[in-house]
Amino acid sequence: MSSGFRPEAAFVSAAEHFFDLMKSFGAQPGAGGAAAADPAKLAGSLASQFEQWLRATQSAGPWFSPGAGGGSGPAGIAAAFSPGAFGQGPFNPGAGAWPFGPLPQGSGAGTPPEGQRSWELITQLAQVQAQLATHWHEIATSAASQFAARLGSLASGPPTLQSALKVYELWVDCAEAAYGATVRKDDFAGLQSQLANLSAALLVEQRKHAETLARAFGLPTRNEVDALYGQIKELRRQVAALGEGRATAGVHQKAQRQGPQRKAARRKGAQRPAAARKTVSAARARKRRT
Amino acid sequence: MQSGADPRDFSDLGARIADTLWKLRRAASVEVGCSVKRAVWSCGKTTLYRYLPLTGSDVAVRAAKHARPILICFALVNRPYILDLQPDRSLVRRLLEAGHTVYLVDWGDAGDSERCTDLEDYLERHLAGCVAHVLEAHGLPALDLLGVCQGGVLSLCYTALHPRQIANLVTLTTPVDFHTTDNLLSKWVRGLDVDLVCATGNVPGEVLNGLFLALSPVRLAQQKYVRLLAAGADQRAVEDFVRMEKWIFDSPPQAAAALAQFVRWFYQENRLLHGTLEIGGRAVRLRDIRQPVLNLYATQDHIVPPAAAAAMEHCIGSEDYESCAIDTGHIGMYVSRAAREAIPTRITSWLRARA
Repeated sequence: MSSGFRPEAAFVSAAEHFFDLMKSFGAQPGAGGAAAADPAKLAGSLASQFEQWLRATQSAGPWFSPGAGGGSGPAGIAAAFSPGAFGQGPFNPGAGAWPFGPLPQGSGAGTPPEGQRSWELITQLAQVQAQLATHWHEIATSAASQFAARLGSLASGPPTLQSALKVYELWVDCAEAAYGATVRKDDFAGLQSQLANLSAALLVEQRKHAETLARAFGLPTRNEVDALYGQIKELRRQVAALGEGRATAGVHQKAQRQGPQRKAARRKGAQRPAAARKTVSAARARKRRT
Repeated sequence: MQSGADPRDFSDLGARIADTLWKLRRAASVEVGCSVKRAVWSCGKTTLYRYLPLTGSDVAVRAAKHARPILICFALVNRPYILDLQPDRSLVRRLLEAGHTVYLVDWGDAGDSERCTDLEDYLERHLAGCVAHVLEAHGLPALDLLGVCQGGVLSLCYTALHPRQIANLVTLTTPVDFHTTDNLLSKWVRGLDVDLVCATGNVPGEVLNGLFLALSPVRLAQQKYVRLLAAGADQRAVEDFVRMEKWIFDSPPQAAAALAQFVRWFYQENRLLHGTLEIGGRAVRLRDIRQPVLNLYATQDHIVPPAAAAAMEHCIGSEDYESCAIDTGHIGMYVSRAAREAIPTRITSWLRARA
């Protein structure tokens, strides 16, 4: 179970977000409603909110925990929704936990020239995130303009909770449609892959430095441990093969010993269970077909 | 929006938020999994469970009609308790009620010692061990296999490799063609350097959760909570909701080697469809599957698009193939009202006709 499993936190965050959207739509909870928002103004406000939300929750891609220490459970997502979460990428101050393990800091992170490659990777990651940011902008702008165009009759009449929910559902449809249209593009998919590959490369690089330290203390490295697991696995395979060989030999010997007994049993009319007969005959039929 | 809103309407909303929040907190420790099961075999982190038969004379009578046990092979990437979430949302329970003997493979959590566990291990040691145990326990040469999602893919591979051990195969939300145009997940991982990603070690469940949520973030991270709020759910409905949440955010860590193979062979190279898949040096060809196959999939599935599952029809060798599209989403296949009735009924009647 994810340590970040706190649905109530995600619920509160979603409810807050719902309230914020209602404010943008012009229905001020507790204030008895407000004047109808200007469509262009409304679109601008929604686009800005949505872009901020996308940056906070999606910029790191699924390859990182979105919230500080919260994991990608509801609580983690909720943390990412908070205003302070904006701009907290995994390599920015206050970043969320790296899901593959702790990123070595200080001396473990390596110093030039060992750390050179790490810094190159961090720079490349920042470039990819900047490219992704243009997509968040595109999605948010498209969602908001679709919403403003489709709002039409939903905006008329006094706001009630039911009408507010209808408006909210329309917003979700527009947001998902705009998101879906962009994230299916090849260049976006390419950026997702780059983000994952660069992140993994950075971790591998930093692990190398950490292993240098481990070696200095006489500790086994990850590669050495993996090599041992590999050997154990191979040995297990060999033992299993030997076991199978023995079992097969045993069956042959048993069959040779039981041959005359089986014939006698058949003569007496002994039968196997119906299911077994059926399967064996099916297998024979298949064999004949092949 | 126009002016003139009834302030009570929105102050009610505030009260409703507080009320739902209180119910959510009360539901935090809700239990999942309802049917009684017993571990009967294990290998590494994999455990084979046998569900104990339900008590009651009706069930006992029906039990006699289904001598062949069903083995459920679930996905590696999620926990299998979704199939037995609670009494009124349990495929396992419906199967038990219909008189089936039900076994379940739980792959467990891959730890550091499973980093090198690959698909061959999962299929030829873990799943093969489960199958052997069930066959031996019942003195039968073959069982019925029910593969779910990624577990369906593993079941297809196993059936192709060991056709004599499987009498009937049922697949639920199982992709066969990983390159359909609507498969966003596949598109995203196509350019992944799987060796590099898996060189970092086992992949935590949180990464998978993040990946699945990112497919439809506004619906999955916001809308469902607002809908819960709007519904004014009672305590029981909130507990149902929390059980689902628990499952969604409870993905186990993935063994690095197996995940790397799965992403490369299936998502990137689409080997199952092309007939180029090899596991443990043996070719896995879907056309070698000649036993009856029932393929159940969802029409609104964002993880396994319907076309990805329906592609099975043109690849397998079975002449007794049936498919059934259910109008729901991926998770709806396990818990939605429509699926709760339709799926167990369909599986049971289909198997009964082939007993």
